[in-house]
Amino acid sequence: MTEIRNFSIIAHIDHGKSTLADRLMQATHAVSDREARQQLLDSMDLERERGITIKASAVTVHHRHDGEDFMLNFIDTPGHVDFSYEVSRSLKACEGAILVVDAAQGVEAQTVVNAYLAIEQNLEIIPVLNKIDLPTARPDEIAMEIEQVLGLPAEDCIEVSAKTGQGIDALLAAICTKFPPPRDPLTDKARALIFDAIYDDYRGVVVYVRVFDGRLKVGDKIRMMGLDRTFNVTELGKHTPKPTKVDALGAGETGYLIAAIKMLGDIRVGDTITIDADPALEPLEGYEPPHQMVFCDFYPATDTAGKGADFEELRRAMEKLRLNDSSFTYQAVHSEALGFGFRCGFLGLLHMDIIQERLEREGGVHIIQTAPTVSYEVDVRGKGGKIKTIEVHNPADLPDAGVIEAFKEPVCKVEIMTPKKHIGDLMKLCMDRRGTFKNQMYVSDTRDMLTFEIPLAEIIYDFYDKLKGITAGYGTMDYDITHYRKDNLVKIDILINGEPVHALAVIIHRDRAQQRGRHLLMRLRKQIPRHNFEIPLQAAIGGKIIARETIKGFRKDVTAKCYGGDVTRKRKLLEKQKKGKSRMKSVGSVQIPQEAFMAVLEQE
Amino acid sequence: MPVPDRPVRRLYIHVPFCSHKCHYCDFYSIVDTLDRQRAFTDRLIEELTALAPWSAGGSLCSVFVGGGTPTLLRTELWGELLAAIDRLFDLSTIRAGLGEFTVECNPESATEELFQTLVAGGVDRLSVGAQSFNSRHLHTLERRHDPVNVARALTLARQCGIKRTSIDLIYAVPGQTVDDWAADLGEALSLGVGHVSCYNLTYEPNTAMTKRLGRGDFDPIDEQTEIDMHTLAVATLGGAGLRRYEVSNFARPGQESDHNLGYWRQEQWLAAGPSASAHVAGHRWKNVPRLGDYLKIDDGGFAAIIDHEPPDAPRLLRERVMTGLRLTEGIEASPILEEVRTLGDAAAALSMERLAGVYVARGLMRAGDRWALTDGGFLLADGIAAEFMALIPEST
Repeated sequence: MTEIRNFSIIAHIDHGKSTLADRLMQATHAVSDREARQQLLDSMDLERERGITIKASAVTVHHRHDGEDFMLNFIDTPGHVDFSYEVSRSLKACEGAILVVDAAQGVEAQTVVNAYLAIEQNLEIIPVLNKIDLPTARPDEIAMEIEQVLGLPAEDCIEVSAKTGQGIDALLAAICTKFPPPRDPLTDKARALIFDAIYDDYRGVVVYVRVFDGRLKVGDKIRMMGLDRTFNVTELGKHTPKPTKVDALGAGETGYLIAAIKMLGDIRVGDTITIDADPALEPLEGYEPPHQMVFCDFYPATDTAGKGADFEELRRAMEKLRLNDSSFTYQAVHSEALGFGFRCGFLGLLHMDIIQERLEREGGVHIIQTAPTVSYEVDVRGKGGKIKTIEVHNPADLPDAGVIEAFKEPVCKVEIMTPKKHIGDLMKLCMDRRGTFKNQMYVSDTRDMLTFEIPLAEIIYDFYDKLKGITAGYGTMDYDITHYRKDNLVKIDILINGEPVHALAVIIHRDRAQQRGRHLLMRLRKQIPRHNFEIPLQAAIGGKIIARETIKGFRKDVTAKCYGGDVTRKRKLLEKQKKGKSRMKSVGSVQIPQEAFMAVLEQE
Repeated sequence: MPVPDRPVRRLYIHVPFCSHKCHYCDFYSIVDTLDRQRAFTDRLIEELTALAPWSAGGSLCSVFVGGGTPTLLRTELWGELLAAIDRLFDLSTIRAGLGEFTVECNPESATEELFQTLVAGGVDRLSVGAQSFNSRHLHTLERRHDPVNVARALTLARQCGIKRTSIDLIYAVPGQTVDDWAADLGEALSLGVGHVSCYNLTYEPNTAMTKRLGRGDFDPIDEQTEIDMHTLAVATLGGAGLRRYEVSNFARPGQESDHNLGYWRQEQWLAAGPSASAHVAGHRWKNVPRLGDYLKIDDGGFAAIIDHEPPDAPRLLRERVMTGLRLTEGIEASPILEEVRTLGDAAAALSMERLAGVYVARGLMRAGDRWALTDGGFLLADGIAAEFMALIPEST
């Protein structure tokens, strides 16, 4: 009888999760020493460059401990909370989690957020202090940090160096002895949880499953219980780490499944698979589908020669990427300023950055990205006074102020790990961003953890950069969206020459509206070239003007000297001047350059 | 090289020498320390020899020698140059007083001997670079002449028989007031010239003046003062009988620069000397700008050229609109619209007419078939011209 252990490794970026996974596989002889040098679990270029694991995948290895045979299933997780839904769904397939902390860096904000996720799922946690070979390692102090912050006893920490292999045997022993085996089957009907899926150009969708009850066999006609669709299993297998076919997956096991599924949209992660002919009565407890919280627009970039990059090219790149990542959404939009593009929804900021980079890198398209906005909930009074909640992530879609009953925004719990000397400045930063101080926790003699509640809209611009600046790079943060909160939010309309320009409207807290309005107009005044006439710029809430600026009219626009006989030079100047204008957007009779639309989106 | 279908009757010659590079100037010039005047004159005569056949069968109606500072050329070399021009080209129209032969002159370099040589060679018009009569403003411009020498040069020129005179003035010099400018204009009128060019100081890229501006050495004149100065020039000179005929040029009736009008009316002209621009049979090109290259490269007598633009109907039309709108006489609309339609774009012609309608209240006047800018319109000439030009379809 083989014992099974299903577990994940969770860590802050750069704390050595992937190296540790490789080392574990090497120690169990799943990979050669040479292969171990590659970080096997991370397959995308981008992941390697950024040191982030984006897509989870599962690897199975065998290990003997105390004369017993163990099948170890590593379920890889992404290291950033933007992907917390991926972390949680990976954790759903596990009984245990290895929490990796860099013995020199200590507990970071992400470590905390990820550890909380594991604790919420009732997983057994093995704390691991990695990089103990470093001269700067402080294992004893960091173990105390773990005890302080996470309540895991310091003496339970296993000291390892994924780099040298020190402590790996002890860790493997702990995995076998401390992590519980899979629970006993509750039914003989097959039930398997889909915890991940990837799109493969040759094989279609590859589904990662954890079987909880019963068995799945090649040739089975399976049913997705949530989506109520059926497929025929053509292949089952495990990554060892090379893909290895198996005939069946039994209760407690993890592996992959191929069933001629064409698109990621055909399945839903979190769904339960059962056998069509002999179905289970109840699905397994699934998890919430990911919710897009951050939105921005992507437009094909226009180059200086005025050649428009192709909208269709961008669409193709989006479609292709969507096959690989079903957690971002897009829909075609048209902007007055930037033409045709897509409004995209992301799980968070990092997710947005990664999608943009992948579109540019893999799709070969250049993108203009507008500033991100968050997803608001607006209670609208409908016919007969009935209240309806709608989701709004574009100021232009906001209903009339008269019918708005409540305007709610997403609020995050933000954990910040910082050297103590920067606490004052960080407090000020968070307060400036409408934050509410929640907690301050002692981590060590030099560091504290601060907890705030801050509206998501306040952290999506440059909060992270500011935090890094204040703490000289030593501070880390992570956030988790916890709830929607009603607040005094308003839409600022921008009027140019008396006409409202939708692409320039913003949603903001009323207390900051005046300041923001003034700032917007100042930016616009710098960006819009002078015209033959005076252009009033106004910021308004409802019908009320809260700020104004004026672009003075051009009153003189003539070259004194027509350069003797050098007509060519003069002509080219005028043609260039006019070409510049063709890249501008006309609002009424005012020409607004593309840059103006971008610049106003920047923070003060 | 293009072959004109009719003789070219205008000639521009560029003399690149200067005693000093003025800080606002971006014309090609060098401070000649190697004495390359002899070599230049020989090469120039060679080039003129090569160009002359294009003028054969027609007498020249205008010659303009600009620079640089043409009057820095030694008198004996002037003698040789003028003799060569007389030998190579037909100057009968000019000698009969029906054409125009202009030389640009620095007030410091005027001598009786030089002027007599010029007159003997057919020169009948002198354009003196006065720029200002205020020493302080001349200093700002890095002009190193004594203002009294302007009057001296003009008197001397007239005594030697040069009938037509013009002076150049620059306004909106940093530190200049409207009163200072009024004084300059008064001084200019007192000299009895029949022609005045008033140029708003322009900060050209890569000039010392522009660098100084960038460094914050001085504040530029504000826009309103520039407009006031511009308006003052139109009123003062107009009141004295010097009518504006181009954005920056004023003349008593009949004293307009015929040579410059030729440029602006898109006529043909030959060009000789480094950096000189020519327009022949729809082609435009420029001679190599550097004196060293000009002396070295000899393409069967012709100079090496750069920036050649072959004939292109839409381009020529855009240029016609651009330079034409800078003239008080404006442009003749129907032939231009007809040509736009011939280019296969009736919609563009319609748009141009519509645009003209839009601008009627904003600086354009329509008198019969002519579209011309008003005084107010001249202040916005670049933007207006650019809009019309943009409507002319590109060649396919």
